[in-house]
This record gives sequence, C-alpha cells and structure tokens, in this order.
Amino acid sequence: MSLLSVEGLAKSFGGLQAVADLSFEVGESEILGIIGPNGAGKTTAVNLVSGVIAPSAGRVTLADHDVTGLPPHVLVERGLVRTFQATNVYAAQTVRENLLRGAFRQIYPGLLPALFDTAAARAARAAAERYVDEVMHWLDLAHVADQVASGLPYGFQKVLGMAIGLAARPRLIMLDEPAAGLSAEETDHVRDTIRMVRARGIAVVVIDHNMRFISDLCDRVLVMAQGRELARGLPQEVLRNAAVIEAYLGKRYAQARH
Amino acid sequence: MARRRSHYYLIAAAVLLGWPWLTDDKFLHHVAVLICITAIAAASLHLIIRTGHVSLGHAAFMAAGAYVSVLTVMQLRMPWPVGLLAGTGAAALLAAIVGPILLRLTGKYFVLVTFLFGEIVRMALVVTPALTGGANGIFEVPPPWPFLLSNRAYYYFALAFAVFGVGLCARLLTCEYGRAIDAIREGERLAECSGVPVIRVKVTVFVIACALAGMAGSLQAHFIRYVGPESYSIVQSLNLVVMNVIGGMTSLVGALIGTVFMITLPELLRGYVNLQQILFGFILFATMAFLPGGIIELGRRLRGFLRARWAGAA
Repeated sequence: MSLLSVEGLAKSFGGLQAVADLSFEVGESEILGIIGPNGAGKTTAVNLVSGVIAPSAGRVTLADHDVTGLPPHVLVERGLVRTFQATNVYAAQTVRENLLRGAFRQIYPGLLPALFDTAAARAARAAAERYVDEVMHWLDLAHVADQVASGLPYGFQKVLGMAIGLAARPRLIMLDEPAAGLSAEETDHVRDTIRMVRARGIAVVVIDHNMRFISDLCDRVLVMAQGRELARGLPQEVLRNAAVIEAYLGKRYAQARH
Repeated sequence: MARRRSHYYLIAAAVLLGWPWLTDDKFLHHVAVLICITAIAAASLHLIIRTGHVSLGHAAFMAAGAYVSVLTVMQLRMPWPVGLLAGTGAAALLAAIVGPILLRLTGKYFVLVTFLFGEIVRMALVVTPALTGGANGIFEVPPPWPFLLSNRAYYYFALAFAVFGVGLCARLLTCEYGRAIDAIREGERLAECSGVPVIRVKVTVFVIACALAGMAGSLQAHFIRYVGPESYSIVQSLNLVVMNVIGGMTSLVGALIGTVFMITLPELLRGYVNLQQILFGFILFATMAFLPGGIIELGRRLRGFLRARWAGAA
C-alpha cells in the first residue's frame, strides 16, 4: 500500500493550465524524483500536494486518508512536510532555534498548558529538544548549532531548510530543488543526506531539473513537461526515453541555434 | 544570575510601591495612573505587532471596553467588576468578529483597514447620542469604588492591573506560543509548513490583545470619570503605535519605555505651552533619527560600551 497517492491532480491559473491530470504514488521509505524543464509545473505540483494552493481537480490520499485541499499545517500533523526552493530558513535565528520552530507540532501543548508550563508541556519540549539535537547530528549541523542562519554558507542554509522539515518528524518530506545553486561537492553532500533520511524510514519526493542528481538518487522518476506527465519509471529507463531526450536536449539545441 | 535577577525585581517592586508616599503631589499620582493604564494598551498592541501586523485601530477596542463598562454600571446599575468583565468581553467579542477578516490582510492594507475600522467605531459613538451621549460623551462616571477617588489609591489599583496585563503579554511571548508568534512574523509560509496554524494563532493573539485594550479602556473611563469619542480617535491609536516604535518594536520592554516617554514628555513640556507641540515633535524626530531601533537601543549600546571598557581594563 502506498503512503501517498495522487490521482488526476489539476490546477489552472486563469487560462493557463499549470498542472493537468497528474497521478503518482510514493511508497513507504521510497525516493521519488520529479524532473522536468523550467515551467513544467513541478513546484506547482508540490504546492498542490502540500496544501499551499488548492487544486482545481483531483485527489490526494495520505496513508489512506483523503487530504485533498487541507491546509499545510494540518498536513504537517498528518506527517507530510515540504521545503521551499528559496528563503526557507529563519535568517535572524540560530540553527537550533530554526529547528525548534520546525518542531512546533511536537513542542506545542495547547495555549493554556503552554502559559502555565505544565509537566506535559515540559516533557514535550524536552523530547523535541532531544530530537532536534539528533537531527542536527545526522545532518552535520551540530557544530554550528548556535550560529545565526544568515551567517552560514549557502550550502548549509539549504541543508538547514531540510533540517527544519525533518524536525517535524514527517513520514514523507517533499524537497523543492534541494541542490539548486550548489557546488558539485555540496550536491554530493545533499544527496548523501537524502539517502540517510530515507534510511531512517522517511519517504522522499525530490524535485530537480538536474537529470544526473535525480538518476543517482531516486528509486523511480516522474518526468513532467508543460504540466503533464511525460514519462515515468526507473531512472535508467526514463533516461533512454525518446520523448524525455527531446524535451531536454531538443530545447537546448533549439536555444543554441538562435 | 537568577538571584541577581530576583534582586532587580525586588528593587523594582519597592520603587513602584514606595514612591507615591514620597510626595503628596496629586498630579504626579495622576500621571502615574495614566502610565499604568496606557502601558496595558501599548503592551497589548505590542502583541499584535509581534505577529507582523501594525494595527491603527487599537483605540477602538479601548472604546468598546470603556463604553460597555460605563453603560453597564450607569444604565444597568451593576457593580464595577461586572462592568469591567462586560467591557473586556465586548472588546474581545468585537475582535473575534473582525479579526478573522482583518488578519487575512497584510502590510499596508491591514494598516489602512484597521484605521478605517477605528473611524467607523468612533463615528458609531458620535451618531448614537441616546445611548452614548454622542460627541459630548458621558459625564460623571462613578469610580469603581468610592475609596478610589484618591489618585494614590487608584495608582495601586491600576498598577495591579498593569502587572497582570503586561505580565500576561510577557508570558505569552516567552512560552512556546511566543515561538510560534515570532516564527509567523519572520516567515509566515515557512511557519505554516512547520505545522503552525497561522490564522488561528493570529486571531487568538488579536482577541487576547483587544480584550486587554478593553480592560484598559474600562480602567481609564472610571478613573477620568468621563468617556467621549475623541479620547479614542485615530490620535490615540497612533499614539499607541508611536509608543511601540519609539521604545523599540522588537521587545515588550520597548513598549513600556515608549509609554512612559509618551505620557510624561507632554507633561514635562507644559511650562512651554506655545512651543509644546513643536518641541514634542522635534524630540520624537530626533529620537527616531538617532535611535532607529527605539530608546531600548540606548540601553543596548550602553551595555556594549561598558562591556568593552571592562574588557579593556581587564
């Protein structure tokens, strides 16, 4: 049984069909890659699934519950978390504070218990603080725990964005271009980190337009173009697909000719 | 460290409780009461500002608290505690009705619409003279209890409410709820995707803050013994914002410093009636120009300077 299942998802902005008839499934601790040229609708697809925008049509099922159109904070409670392409950290705060904010769902005991700092509230906070320490340890952020996020190198900030998501203890995390703008070395680090996340039983949906990054990392790949599915399957199969080669290389050749 | 901090609290308590007996000047006691009451309103506005919204209609909620409290006591012949609860509740109810609509607006749109809301409330008070006394307001409002006719007694009374009101704001900001409030201001979308129910938190904070403003309104009306629409116009709303800005928007202490500054400064300038407004404006302007982070920045700079000196000497 799959953890996340998306059927016939669609969204149009005015006359523009950003996503049309998109269906895919993600199994427990699976890594699914969504790939496609710029403007293919990848980020819109993540926004639709994670509740940031409401779909025009289609159904999203998470662990056998219909979650279509639920707001992001409810989806976080159900175990689905997503990260953003840019500006995805609290720049003025320390790394630890960033993660504690990500862990809100576990720390927050309700308004009155928080105001009176009840035993339950203290226990929840202590547990979340331990978990946050653990996440920082996995992602190699422990040595910068008390540094302010805006002072960190860009690569660390990208990893921190992922760490904020993981602090919410998700069952599935959707990463929007986690390696965009990173050096080859940093990209390798991000790839290893995602593998480790999966090894801890968390399913991952990762979006990118870098074919190499995705094919090394993912169990299965979904290719999108102009809001629709172009191809899907194992990374090696998809790489050989003629339509995919045309969508990628054809466009680049066309640009080169001008 | 904790012991030193508790010493500071003891000294502060001794000063706040002791100074009224060093002078019989009723006017000083009067100003002190106004500071206590206004501190509640400014601190409650600080709560809203911390969620990332600058409300230009906060005085409207003071008006709701003041009028409902006064009418409950004078028309329904209820004791003052009932009036206080009714006034506070009315302000909270009003906030719970308009909050979910207003708080979906951001930035300048929120500022504009709260300004309009404040004006609507003020106009509603002016055009219903049968109930509210219209533009003249309501005179001869009774004090909560007769013994509170003494300014010194009312000071202790208002101080107790100020400790409660400002203390509630401080607690909200330092507990886990405060972490959510700051997360919303610094990254609303990110907070929502970490499981923070953004609109619910904003509305809850707004309702609590406006209830406190209503409480301050009731305390003020029964102290001045008069309510009128002009006391709760845009000028009062704007003053509350200026208190927050001039004290320092990033901390609750800033709102308190701003309150003391904005209430005492016009009183100190009373000797120069002709120049009062000009001097007041000039001082405000100079403060903002040289201390863009608010008066609280002065303390931070001083601390940094002393630390540097101390490190140099050692």
